[in-house]
Amino acid sequence: MLFWVIAAVLTLGASLAVLLPLAARPKSESSDTAHDLEVYRDQLSELDRDLDRGLIQPSEAEQARAEIGRRILRLSAARQEQAGGERSFGLRLIPVIAVLAVPLVSWAVYARLGSPDIPSQPLSERLARNPADSTVDELVARAESHLAANPSDGRGWEVLAPIYMRMQRFSDSARAYDNAIRLLGSNADRQSGLGEALVNAAGGRIAGDARAAFLAALEHDPSDARSQFFLAMASAQDGRMEDAVASWKRMRDSLPEGSPWRGAAGQALAQAGLEMAERGPGPGQEEVEAATAMSEQDRAEMIAGMVERLDERLRENPQDGEGWKQLIRSHLVLGDANKARDVLARAVEALGADTEQAKAVIAFAASNGLKMTEQVQ
Amino acid sequence: MVEIGHFALVLALALGLVQMTVPLIGARLRDERMMAVAGPVTLAGFVFTALSFAILTMAYARSDFSLQNVWENSHSLKPMLYKITGVWGNHEGSMLLWVFILTFFGALVAIFGRNLPTTLRATVLAVQGSVGVAFFLFILITSNPFTRLSPAPVEGRDLNPILQDIGLAIHPPLLYLGYVGFSVSFAFSVAALIEGRIDAAWARWVRPWTLVAWVFLTGGIAMGSYWAYYELGWGGFWFWDPVENASFMPWLAGTALLHSAIVMEKRSALKIWTLLLAILTFSLSLLGTFLVRSGVLTSVHAFAADPSRGVFILCILMLFIGGSLALFALRASSLTQGGLFQPISREGALVLNNLFLTTATATVFIGTLYPLLVEALSGDKISVGPPFFNLTFIPLMVPLLVLVPFGPLLAWKRGDALAAAQRLMFAFAAALAAVLVTAFLIDGSSAIAALGVGLAIWLMIGALTDLAVKAGLGNVEPSVAWRRFIGLPRSVFGTALAHLGLGLTVLGLVGAICFGTESVLTMKPEQITELSGKRVRFDNVVPVQGPNYNDERAHFSLLGPAGEVRREIWSSRRFYPVRQMNTTEAGIATLGFSQLYISIGETTESGLVVRLWWKPFVTLIWGGGLVMMAGGTLSLLDRRLRVGAPARRSRKGAVKPAVEAA
Repeated sequence: MLFWVIAAVLTLGASLAVLLPLAARPKSESSDTAHDLEVYRDQLSELDRDLDRGLIQPSEAEQARAEIGRRILRLSAARQEQAGGERSFGLRLIPVIAVLAVPLVSWAVYARLGSPDIPSQPLSERLARNPADSTVDELVARAESHLAANPSDGRGWEVLAPIYMRMQRFSDSARAYDNAIRLLGSNADRQSGLGEALVNAAGGRIAGDARAAFLAALEHDPSDARSQFFLAMASAQDGRMEDAVASWKRMRDSLPEGSPWRGAAGQALAQAGLEMAERGPGPGQEEVEAATAMSEQDRAEMIAGMVERLDERLRENPQDGEGWKQLIRSHLVLGDANKARDVLARAVEALGADTEQAKAVIAFAASNGLKMTEQVQ
Repeated sequence: MVEIGHFALVLALALGLVQMTVPLIGARLRDERMMAVAGPVTLAGFVFTALSFAILTMAYARSDFSLQNVWENSHSLKPMLYKITGVWGNHEGSMLLWVFILTFFGALVAIFGRNLPTTLRATVLAVQGSVGVAFFLFILITSNPFTRLSPAPVEGRDLNPILQDIGLAIHPPLLYLGYVGFSVSFAFSVAALIEGRIDAAWARWVRPWTLVAWVFLTGGIAMGSYWAYYELGWGGFWFWDPVENASFMPWLAGTALLHSAIVMEKRSALKIWTLLLAILTFSLSLLGTFLVRSGVLTSVHAFAADPSRGVFILCILMLFIGGSLALFALRASSLTQGGLFQPISREGALVLNNLFLTTATATVFIGTLYPLLVEALSGDKISVGPPFFNLTFIPLMVPLLVLVPFGPLLAWKRGDALAAAQRLMFAFAAALAAVLVTAFLIDGSSAIAALGVGLAIWLMIGALTDLAVKAGLGNVEPSVAWRRFIGLPRSVFGTALAHLGLGLTVLGLVGAICFGTESVLTMKPEQITELSGKRVRFDNVVPVQGPNYNDERAHFSLLGPAGEVRREIWSSRRFYPVRQMNTTEAGIATLGFSQLYISIGETTESGLVVRLWWKPFVTLIWGGGLVMMAGGTLSLLDRRLRVGAPARRSRKGAVKPAVEAA
């Protein structure tokens, strides 16, 4: 409402700027030639000054004076014709149109372009609102601005860290856990949270810093399930599949029924069982070539990581025919037909047996000498 | 509040429509009341545009992310200065600044032009208004900064880190004041063509506006060059980059316009040429806006992919350039011709100046647009780099620079070249001495360097000679000469200062290009390296956390002869996490007019990659620009420029006695 009042006042002001001069009585016009005359007079006086200073010779000055004089004469000869008389009806309409144009044009254009219902939303005001009315993003932003002002509030970081994790802002989450550990001290929960954030930030790879965090968590609480799970995963990524399976089995058997990590361990076991049957995952062709330049250990790590990544991606997003073909080809290139066949089976299952994509994958596999068989397990 | 800004912008458009039509019709019909509309409407348009701009700035300052423009270019953690400069650090906001400055100049004409002939004033404001309308429409239709987002995000995407610098606070406003300032000369020219009348008062009116624009553009270009120098981190100060050329072309044409306007005022000659130059200068400003704002420079194909903005500016370009040139073709012949004059005379020298400057503008124009044309026609991306400009632009400039000191010393109408040359003997001797000293004592390897130093000295001493001659030094007693010197018109000082500044810039360029040295190496802490006799020690690298960036700051010490620390230098690499971008902050130590410039790269196993430059006299490049600005400003303060108005006669009496006493 306030907006419309201000807008109306502004429109009124703008219209007055047009209306008032049109309504005023015309002043008498000064002659145009007066301006030129002034310039020429000034030129004459400057000529005198230059002469005083000795910059020009008296004869030159005389000539110049004569030239300026001629210009002045020419000026007085040229009299301006004055216009006047009655205006036609059309011309008298112009002022009316001009005055009306301002409100009409502005309101019409604004009606098309503007969003008068959206209030302005400065960040500080939004953050000061009742938390119950805020969105999650705003709550997080509020917490962030609070922590920017009080960076030593360890509790704040601890609360924010898992929220970041849920929002998929993994590196922010890791930073928040880091700060919480620094300010509040290390404990199992914070360390394993930090580890998980680091793993997610690294796209699933369990690197040294994450491992250190999980080990620190286990020092505080040897039964911390999250750390056990990820450390087992780390063993699997290193190729020590037996160790991984052993820990997951232990977790599956010892954790209580409702624990999410028990289910996760079970899933991991199912997957691992599949991989245990056929050792040696493999990468794509160009990476094999790159791998020949590496040391034996680096190569094994790289290949494992590669195929794992692709595998992981297809698990999350199975509707990807090209991806499945690539994974099958990777296994075939490494001479691992059984593994390739497994993948083919998974692909068909994921894509749906009758879909075009599945048929394309089957055809691709067949052209590489691979036939659909029953599930190996 | 935000929507009030939007509404004010729309109102400014509506007022602009009135401004471009009613006064123009009034001037044709000699209707006093309709012409009288021009002033109030122009002022109101300025007020509403200013309100709109202020509200957008407020939205930036308060991080109102319900505006798409704020969300795209700001971040709540940015320091307040960069929140505000971020307003024009993007396309939409900078166009609003452009049109804001346009209405500002319109308002100035409306206020200070009260004693212009009424029809001329009404026509000028109408033309100015039509430019405004075109840009208001452009902003509202294709690049509206007031587009809203609902629901509003809570955090912005941050401003391009390269722009998060004090340079952004100064460079674009100065540059736009220059670009847009030429719109006034343009409006005066078009108005003269519409009226079919051009006279001495016209010339007096156009010159100060041209000077104002020129002063700002000079500052804008110099500032932009210095900004690129310290921010891009590889020590260059001019890249012949299309964006730079876009601002350089109006400068060259504007410089020519300044000089031809003098001839027009003094001798009533070159009228038509001056009109044409005024039109061309503003056309080049518009072209610059088009080049920078349409995206055509990034790639002709990017432009073709999203052409709405580019095509719109292209239409504005064709309308104003084509329209004004067509008007020129129709009306120029009806304007009264000025007198003829001798080749050897002040006006002859100014014509020569114009010839050189316009030719130079043409070479830059070709060098800038030819690659775009080739890319548009054949799809090949070619680059016309510094070699082209060095081979075309510099040979054109050198003769002009050699002739500069002669110009002010020649008399109007009939000059004496020989007498002028005699007066310049001292300057010539000084220049010759400088050449010899440079060649034999400093660096004999490059003749060009020695000649360049000589040219710079020639320009500087030549400019001072002009002052000495006008004061009568040597002909009259020193005390008389001194009083004469004090009594010289300010425009004479302005001329001398501007030419002196030119000499300083040339000296800076020659120094930095011909005598500069550079070295690239990897350094370990405590290692000492030497460059042109300057011993520099790399101490350590310190990580620093900025408000919205992480800084890797390297500390260097410039050592004196005894190993003591003469100067500390910090050079850093910044990482901006929101944009995932790196910037460099060069470490610069200024020693006299010269600078030691250090920029750091990656840290490798063998140490930190360090690039060092020694740039003798480099600050003179921009210092010369400042001196030129000072010269332009002094010239602007000249009393004569304010005359030409019957209403102000009374003031003249007060000044005159002082002058006559001299």
